[in-house]
Amino acid sequence: MNTLLLRKSKDKLKAFTKHPYFGYIVFGLILLAAQLLTMSGMIQKSTMDSIILTLIYAVIALGFSLLLGYGGLASLGTAGFVGLGTYFTGYFAGTLDLPFGLTILISLIGAVLIGTIVGFISLRIEGMYLAIITLGLSEILVEVFKSFEAFTNGVDGLSFRTFDLFGRLMSDEAVYIIIIIVFVIVMLATINIIKSPTGRALLAMKNSTSAAQSMGISLLKYRLLAFIISTVYAVLAGMLYMINSKFSIPTTWNLALSLNILAAVIVGGSQSILGITLGAFMIFGLSPAILSNIQFFIDHPAAISIFNGLLIILVVMFYPGGLIRLLQTFVAFVKKKYVEFKQKWKEYRYGKDE
Amino acid sequence: MNKFMLERLVSKKEKLIQKYTFYKTFLPISINEKEEKLNKKIEYLQKNKELTLKQYAINAGIKVDYLEAEKANKLQKLEEKYSLKNKALKQSKLRALKKQDETEVNKIFDEKIKTLLASKEAEKEKLNNYYAPSDHIDESLTVYKEKETEINTILEAKEKVLKDNYNQSVKKQTERVKNKVKDLEQKIENLTKQIDKAKSSIEDLTYGINDEVLLRLKDLTMRFGGLLAVDKLSFDVKKGEIFGLIGPNGAGKTTVFNCLTKFYNPTAGEMYYRKNELEVTKLNDYQVHNIVKLGIVRTFQNVELIWELSILDNLLVAAHTNYQTGFFGQLIHTRGLAREEKVYRNKALKILKDLNLLQYQYAYPLGLPYGILKRVELARTLMTNPRLIILDEPAAGLNDAETEELSKTIRKIRDEYNTTIFLVEHDMGLVMDVCDTVCAISFGKKLAIGTPKEIQANKLVREAYLGEE
Repeated sequence: MNTLLLRKSKDKLKAFTKHPYFGYIVFGLILLAAQLLTMSGMIQKSTMDSIILTLIYAVIALGFSLLLGYGGLASLGTAGFVGLGTYFTGYFAGTLDLPFGLTILISLIGAVLIGTIVGFISLRIEGMYLAIITLGLSEILVEVFKSFEAFTNGVDGLSFRTFDLFGRLMSDEAVYIIIIIVFVIVMLATINIIKSPTGRALLAMKNSTSAAQSMGISLLKYRLLAFIISTVYAVLAGMLYMINSKFSIPTTWNLALSLNILAAVIVGGSQSILGITLGAFMIFGLSPAILSNIQFFIDHPAAISIFNGLLIILVVMFYPGGLIRLLQTFVAFVKKKYVEFKQKWKEYRYGKDE
Repeated sequence: MNKFMLERLVSKKEKLIQKYTFYKTFLPISINEKEEKLNKKIEYLQKNKELTLKQYAINAGIKVDYLEAEKANKLQKLEEKYSLKNKALKQSKLRALKKQDETEVNKIFDEKIKTLLASKEAEKEKLNNYYAPSDHIDESLTVYKEKETEINTILEAKEKVLKDNYNQSVKKQTERVKNKVKDLEQKIENLTKQIDKAKSSIEDLTYGINDEVLLRLKDLTMRFGGLLAVDKLSFDVKKGEIFGLIGPNGAGKTTVFNCLTKFYNPTAGEMYYRKNELEVTKLNDYQVHNIVKLGIVRTFQNVELIWELSILDNLLVAAHTNYQTGFFGQLIHTRGLAREEKVYRNKALKILKDLNLLQYQYAYPLGLPYGILKRVELARTLMTNPRLIILDEPAAGLNDAETEELSKTIRKIRDEYNTTIFLVEHDMGLVMDVCDTVCAISFGKKLAIGTPKEIQANKLVREAYLGEE
């Protein structure tokens, strides 16, 4: 009976490894393991800090990829919505001292509402014009953050205290674990959207508007949907940012951040979840996690930006499909080399076949 | 009872019918899956029986097929292993000869080969011993028989439980679906009665259009600035016919299509479409993405496929309006969504099979031959449950053989899927071959309408095409 059980469980394991969620769950487990190692002191805290920051930006980038990589819409107002998320958290859970669960609910509803309103105004146009409209909108939001002091505490910035969830005060370590879990959930939600009729409708809209329309896909509805999803992701990322760094200042949420997110999505590969995470790491996590530990870059801090810029240029020039394409090519190369090596070894050991 | 309420009743009925067909198509798929699972489980049980009985069978010296096969397999593997080892020895001997004296090397390697042969014989004997019957064959035989009967009874009991479970679940599901279907039938019947009642109490909704007519254009006019692309065009398309629209380049044929599918809003004129047996609607009131819900679907002059999706997914895009699961259901991938995906995937596969496209199901459109892409577009139209298929130059860019096949396909679609086909085409051979009615236009104006023969004989048409005096 044991052999049977073994075979059965083997089959089940095989089926599970082929499940689309498998890779993402393993990724999440690796991150959790890294966090545990950090808590036990085997990984430097600063490295984990930058990984967590990368995850927060990756959430924004995933939302943006649904908009750009699937919906084919370019928006430059992402940063404003992230800022909104931080202020929602800071104001409702901090200043007003509402329970954190309620804050989450209010923020998400606010995100949907704002996404709907902005989308309704701006989505009747496409291409560059949409980018410019959202850019203007983002600048307006930054000015609002600066002058609406009752809500945002103005240019001094809004700070946030530790908060409790499920009746427990959340320590820094717990916050990290929350962020990792939320990131995994966001990845799974994204893959679900991509693999559903909605994802296909978005791609159809991007590839051929006329085909999409004649198949019954309403352009406005799906553009709006993509825009709302990306807004919700951005607000969610803003909340994660606030509980992580506990401080938000208006100038953080400017055009540069939006452009960085755009760069992360393009550099990573606009349709691959893993690629976008890699892209976010390259743009936001590479310098604090790795470069700042290298002696040369400690001596010449200006070189970090130059190195980063060069890296982006190289990737975009030689791998227009993004880092994910680079990774795929590399894996294919290793596989090919392995097969060749095996062949050579056989020849050496057993001689050529007659 | 007014017109608005009647419309609601009719659309409710349509939705119910959609649900009804969904349940009916889902049942066999689900049962099939369950059967596969059952077979797999039974297979596991059989294998388990073999494994447990193996040792007893060997002891009793019974010749069983799977044992013989296993032994032969093991022997072959042994032979292979030693032949490889032999080869490796030869190779290392060759390498050694380059460095050392010949006699010495020969001496060493002769020894090595001897030990190799000896170990091979030893392993062979071990294998034979393993499969040899025990000394007390009679005893072992009785033990084997006992075990076999014991295991067989257990196995039968388990199989019975499995089969019972299977039968029960199938029965349960069938009953549930039957009940649902019955319920739906009842509801549909009730609705039909209500509609019939309402029909008598309400004024005519057909604009006086005959039952046979599916589509009527009345004085359709389309003006782009100073250019009059379509000028007071009127004609009828009957149910179930293949209708061809011909005309020289720039005659406004594609503009007519774009007006029909609401990519353009016509400047003037009406487009009537028979929505159901009761009602005729004006297409003028619809938005472009709602046209497909009426059963009108089109193809494009330049193939418009979704390049980033596989052919199968391209077809599933066309089933978009049929999905009942909402966004949040899709976000967490409910079981309902999985069911729907299964049903529409099956439907898509059937259509692909009908159009000889099955081998391309996982391919991406980029890089496939043009003729295949055109056929994929045709397949995509069939996914939407079409009543009127509008083909914009289906033969453009095809060679003669492909065109011939296309005309067969068009007829096949009309007959098997009960649709009406309305096409624009430059290839006169195709038009004259497949069309029941042909309408010729020039500079947006109707020249003639009739059977292909009549059109061929028409003087005005010849003038427009050939410029005869």
